[in-house]
Amino acid sequence: MAALRRLANFITTLLRELGDEAAYQRRLRRDGRAHSAEEWRRFIDERLKAKYSRAKCC
Amino acid sequence: MRAICGWGGFILAVIRSLKPDKLNSAQGAAHAQALLRRIGAALCEPVVRDSIKSEPAMKKILGHAAWALASVGAAFCLATVALTRGEPVNSIWLVLAAAGAYLIGFRFYAKFIAVKAMALNNHRATPAERLRDGRDFEPTNKWILFGHHFAAIAGPGPLVGPTLAAQFGYLPGALWIIIGAVLGGAVQDFVILFCSMRRDGKSLGKMAREEIGKAGGLAALLAVMMIMVILLAVVALVVVNALKNSPWGTFTIAATMPIAVFMGLYLRYLRPGRVLEVSAIGFLLVLLSILGGRYVAQSAAIAPWFTYGPLALALAIIVYGFLASALPVWLLLAPRDYLSTFVKLGVVLMLGVGVVFVRPELQLPPFTRFVDGSGPIFAGKIFPFCFITIACGAISGFHALISSGTTPKLIAREWHVWPIGYGSMLLESFVAIMALIAACALQPGVFFAVNSPAGVVGAAPEAAARTVSSWGFPVTVGQMERLAREVGEQTLFARTGGAPSLALGMAQIFSALGGERILAFWYHFAIMFEALFILTIIDAGTRVGRFMLQDLAGHIYKPLGRVSWMPGVIGASALIVLAWGYFLYQGVRDPLGGINSLWPLFGIANQLLAAIALCVATTILVKMHRAKYMWITCAPLAWLLVVTFAGGWEKIFSPDPRIGFLAQAGQLSAAIAAGRIPAARIAETRTLIFNAQLDAAVCAAFVAMVALIFVDSVRVWIGVLRGTREARVEEAPFVMSQLRVEEI
Repeated sequence: MAALRRLANFITTLLRELGDEAAYQRRLRRDGRAHSAEEWRRFIDERLKAKYSRAKCC
Repeated sequence: MRAICGWGGFILAVIRSLKPDKLNSAQGAAHAQALLRRIGAALCEPVVRDSIKSEPAMKKILGHAAWALASVGAAFCLATVALTRGEPVNSIWLVLAAAGAYLIGFRFYAKFIAVKAMALNNHRATPAERLRDGRDFEPTNKWILFGHHFAAIAGPGPLVGPTLAAQFGYLPGALWIIIGAVLGGAVQDFVILFCSMRRDGKSLGKMAREEIGKAGGLAALLAVMMIMVILLAVVALVVVNALKNSPWGTFTIAATMPIAVFMGLYLRYLRPGRVLEVSAIGFLLVLLSILGGRYVAQSAAIAPWFTYGPLALALAIIVYGFLASALPVWLLLAPRDYLSTFVKLGVVLMLGVGVVFVRPELQLPPFTRFVDGSGPIFAGKIFPFCFITIACGAISGFHALISSGTTPKLIAREWHVWPIGYGSMLLESFVAIMALIAACALQPGVFFAVNSPAGVVGAAPEAAARTVSSWGFPVTVGQMERLAREVGEQTLFARTGGAPSLALGMAQIFSALGGERILAFWYHFAIMFEALFILTIIDAGTRVGRFMLQDLAGHIYKPLGRVSWMPGVIGASALIVLAWGYFLYQGVRDPLGGINSLWPLFGIANQLLAAIALCVATTILVKMHRAKYMWITCAPLAWLLVVTFAGGWEKIFSPDPRIGFLAQAGQLSAAIAAGRIPAARIAETRTLIFNAQLDAAVCAAFVAMVALIFVDSVRVWIGVLRGTREARVEEAPFVMSQLRVEEI
């Protein structure tokens, strides 16, 4: 049961990382800010700009 | 002695971190750097040895016995796959052989490289720790980063390449995927990731410029840009061939666009930050669109709206590519990319589970008659074309761009490059094995009927079935029609490009788990899955190409370099789209199906990029005074140079018009001169001649660029080894890691 819980935790953490949610939380923590629509938009614009300036693999 | 040296270096490093001004002179810094490099080698080995010493003797013996058993088991499975003749082999042998080879490669070869050649050192702070900014640089859990890196390197390549190469039979492709990945592809990813990590996450182009020279850096940049153009054209062609005359497939893919826009708006305005939530909603909507596609295809009124020939689809994708690259990323590209990444991981997992549970038999023989080079899918013999066709899955130069991109900036400990760099590539190779199994599990007649272009087997179903059967792979028109009906398509003849046959194979495996009545759903699910991330590659690739072009154009006229200046954005987007759009158009008009000329060109380009990466890696090893281990990167480099130069030579100069671009142009010119081409088709034939000459020129340019980098690299190696050239590496200085375990 504990192993299953660990697996579920791992999958959720991975998905949150792939979905940039974890990076957003880190950013909020680092800057000591609270979540808001404006904060998210600022974060995601910056992140996507960096993300899509690199080629995607084949 | 080594331990003393290690601890001495360790103390020096501590002193240096405390009093950096004492080592500030250039000579002092160089001397210190040389010493500090030795620390790495010295420190990590005692760590490894100590951990081994502390193991109980019995545990150690059992460990050795288990590995010996695994090696014998893997060898036995591989022998079964390789030596069985005259009867279908169960795919589980191939799965076990591959898994065994990967485990042994990972445990022994990769660890050997890590200890001896790289001297990985967990005491050395990584850029993620030293430059931590919570944005680009952030120490990340190794398994999370493994998933992240794998999601970034896995694309359609490992799915499509093995499917196409199955025309030689299952064995050549399977052996190349396993051996190529263990000794070549994974080594390249691993070493480049290590090199980039030691250089604060520098890109491949930058490392080439700094370690080899300016010519190397420029050639790497140009190679990346040209490869991207060919890549975008060839993957777009795969989508066109999968969707032509398929209202169900076209509807599903068309539906992903409004779904992605909805997701983008939801994420930006309705529930900002809820990526997983909106992706789940998007996934449900995509599933509904797959289910709805059946009714669209069956409706006499709506089906014609979504039924298009290859040319119309190609034009639609070209226009789409232009719009998508100019639209804000949050609106279409990013939400679809999230969806595509999640679906990709899910499907890869499902395919793995499906293959293990269903254990389909490999219907294709180990070798087909097409090893002689007369293959209908693409022309050319096993050597060199099998090794060019399967790039991703065995060795892919594009991975070097990812390994020198985001990943090195997120590595928490140096030893994490072992599972992330080497292990991720092994997993991708495993995906390629799964794709090969899915394709080879189809009946050979069906496989060739689906993948052979009309220009080879004939446009009429009867002619196609007759030709395929005459090769010794019986298939009937009735059988193909029944299969097409079962998957909700009008026809499955001449659906070249690899995607439809792979979708058929996957659908058969999935439906064996979930009921054969939903074969059509699984087929269109697989097509949607392939098209979804191919379109994401097209969007992102066009955008990246636009940035590169704007960057170059900015040197001529400054405003052109501004990514927010609309005329510059539109002009650069249009140029990039026209570049790959032209090759796509050329592929669509090619009587041999386009894949015959474009996929080998893409394969050559991708392998040549791998050669550039291995040149950089070898140069760095030589400069690190690890010349005695340079064979680790030189062996795959030598193989790639032989394969790609031979492939390039054949594609340009082969006298066979199905292989050689110049022979093809010559044959068409002779036909015009002899008056064998009707007047109405002369203009079109002239275009084909130009296309063949253009392909020859592009191929020659790739080969010339790599030859330039290789010669430049050899010059550096000889200089360093003879002592006539300074072995100055551009590594970041050693800093002691302060990272606590709980932080990662």
